[in-house]
Amino acid sequence: MLAAMLTLESPLVQAEMVDATEFPELARKFGVSGVPQTTINEGKKNIVGAVPEANLLAELLRVVSQGTEVPG
Amino acid sequence: MPELLNEQIKGQVKEALGQMQHPVQVLFFGSKENCDYCADTRQLAEEVCTLSDQLGLSVYDIQADAALATQYHVDKTPCLVIAAKDGETISDFGIRIAGIPGGYDFSAFIQILLLVANRDSGLSEQTRQALKSLKAPVDLQVFVTPT
Repeated sequence: MLAAMLTLESPLVQAEMVDATEFPELARKFGVSGVPQTTINEGKKNIVGAVPEANLLAELLRVVSQGTEVPG
Repeated sequence: MPELLNEQIKGQVKEALGQMQHPVQVLFFGSKENCDYCADTRQLAEEVCTLSDQLGLSVYDIQADAALATQYHVDKTPCLVIAAKDGETISDFGIRIAGIPGGYDFSAFIQILLLVANRDSGLSEQTRQALKSLKAPVDLQVFVTPT
């Protein structure tokens, strides 16, 4: 829900809610071990569990500022 | 096929959707092949969309309507795009639901409809300002299960 809320504030943000059981290959690709899991930019960052607004914002800004670097 | 929503749930959803301030278009993308949940997802979207005058539904096929699927960043089925509708103009915020939004995810589906209907993120001023200064795309995928 938070991910969807973010899309309203920027045309650069997309949010997809994915049923992990219907798309197991995708879930495996991003190492989904618990839900909800929020994956930013194809696995540059994975966050398991509910994430507060400020934390998700901080993480996505960090991913964007990293550009194409390998995630740490 | 029997209805997926019982009368009690329909009543609750109808009441919740009564808060919709603006129209919303739900774009269903299905596939004729290898899509176990396409029929149920389409039916669920149809049943929900009858519960408010503010809701419209359009039905597409990911192969036959490939250009449209690409435009809405749809790469798997079933997929629902939840977009704003103003007159004949459909504005895509980039919100998609991949897989059937049943069970626990059903309430998230309804909340997303309300979010788009009211055109207000409800986020803090700090978050809004930070997002306005974004320079690169952010693709969020939230993995959930319907159980």
